[in-house]
Amino acid sequence: MTRVLRNYFYEAGATVHFGWRYLKEVWFPPYEFREVLKQCFEIGYKSLTLVGITAFIIGLVFTLQSRPTLVEFGAESWLPYMVGLSIIREIGPVITGLICAGKIGSGIGAELGSMKVTEQIDAMEVSGTNPFKFIVATRITACILMVPILTIMGDAIALFGSFLAIKIAGSISWTLYFDKIFSSLHYSDFIPAFLKTFFFGFAIGLVGCFKGFHSKKGTEGVGRSANSAVVVSSLLIFIIDLIAVQISQFFGFV
Amino acid sequence: MIAEKKISVSTVSMKSYGERIIEINHLKISFGQNHVLTDFNLMVRRGENVVVLGKSGCGKSVLIKCIVGLLNYDGGEIKVLGQEISSLDQQSLDELRAKIGFVFQSSALYDSMTVRGNLEFALRRHGRHKSKNEIDGLVDETLTNVGLLHAIEKMPSELSGGMKKRVGLARALILHPEIMLYDEPTTGLDPITAKEMSNLMLEMQKKYNTSSIIISHDMHCAKLTANRLAVMMDGICYADGTYDELSSLTDPRIHAFFE
Repeated sequence: MTRVLRNYFYEAGATVHFGWRYLKEVWFPPYEFREVLKQCFEIGYKSLTLVGITAFIIGLVFTLQSRPTLVEFGAESWLPYMVGLSIIREIGPVITGLICAGKIGSGIGAELGSMKVTEQIDAMEVSGTNPFKFIVATRITACILMVPILTIMGDAIALFGSFLAIKIAGSISWTLYFDKIFSSLHYSDFIPAFLKTFFFGFAIGLVGCFKGFHSKKGTEGVGRSANSAVVVSSLLIFIIDLIAVQISQFFGFV
Repeated sequence: MIAEKKISVSTVSMKSYGERIIEINHLKISFGQNHVLTDFNLMVRRGENVVVLGKSGCGKSVLIKCIVGLLNYDGGEIKVLGQEISSLDQQSLDELRAKIGFVFQSSALYDSMTVRGNLEFALRRHGRHKSKNEIDGLVDETLTNVGLLHAIEKMPSELSGGMKKRVGLARALILHPEIMLYDEPTTGLDPITAKEMSNLMLEMQKKYNTSSIIISHDMHCAKLTANRLAVMMDGICYADGTYDELSSLTDPRIHAFFE
């Protein structure tokens, strides 16, 4: 038990140190712009389909499930407002974060773990290149940039899914639906939700890179890195979300 | 059993080669309770090929990883081109590493890049050859030297084991290093390809005028490439000398390598 706790705290400390190293090193040259762009493509563009399909289904199903209750209370006209607020504030960022933790976190964990066990990271270091800057900093930066963009796109697609659900069940025009949503939303709904996605991206990139970079030898080690990257980054998303809500409340955004 | 003294039968190194390029004195490395190297000494002179022999797991790969600063050591000193490795800051270490070529046992090619990308990687970062034409010229020349120009646009996954080793060698040579470190360069290759690889290493040594440490337990490779052999055993350099000198020793532990 003591050993488990000691390992847990050791790993938590090492992850924080890893993140701190990123924050210290990312500002100084050499800047790997080309690699950051490549990772943005890999992380952002290649996740768009999965995020889009998930967001569409979530928007559609969420609306279909909520509608009967609101109809029962004669509050059907509130449906766009309720769905819009839920998706923009909470469901969109958290679902996108979890999808990214699953797809990107496991991908980074497995890729870096594989690079570690096949000595590619050592080869990079021997060639006089800082592997932390080339491999880790570029991936974390790409995650920080791409997760917010994916979230915005996911939100838009989820709202479209929601519109289709209302359209199927009743009759509402495209203009009226979005007019109802945007007239009820404030910047205080959108900005905190948008800002927390940068932290989601940071957590996903950091945990994926940390787990992969410290992967144990062998295929079992690579598998374990990928798996624990998903588990830890998913958990971190909920913790960050909880903290973000508390901060938003403190500043009167909720 | 701990070997207490070294058997030195070498007669060639002092006379035939240039200045000391690698000096390893009283090197100690442990991983927990596993004392891998206890008092290892080795010296390599310019132009010399030293093959380090030893049983699997005795610390041969650990030794060359210490030489390039990939692993820290617990005691003793390693001087490469006159610089003590453990005292170098990151920038000085990177500058020194540019003068050392390292061929990994697993080739360690970057599998997300083509063969060209693998070779260009270090060239672009060391900034000594900025123009694209110069970089292309060097990549073509080095790949021609190892006979793989036709594979320049291939991904590592499309290459055979022997081709990967040769690309690994080309990648290590592209910065024209003064020292080459080979980690079991013929392991996993069939006898014919292993012999071709050994010949290629010799050819490249002459062409690029390098000094080498070759980690191996392939006696054919050792016979072909070594000017001198060092036998690592029980954490020390148990014996050193030429292939013929060591093969004529009656010590059963040395003799076992030549049977």
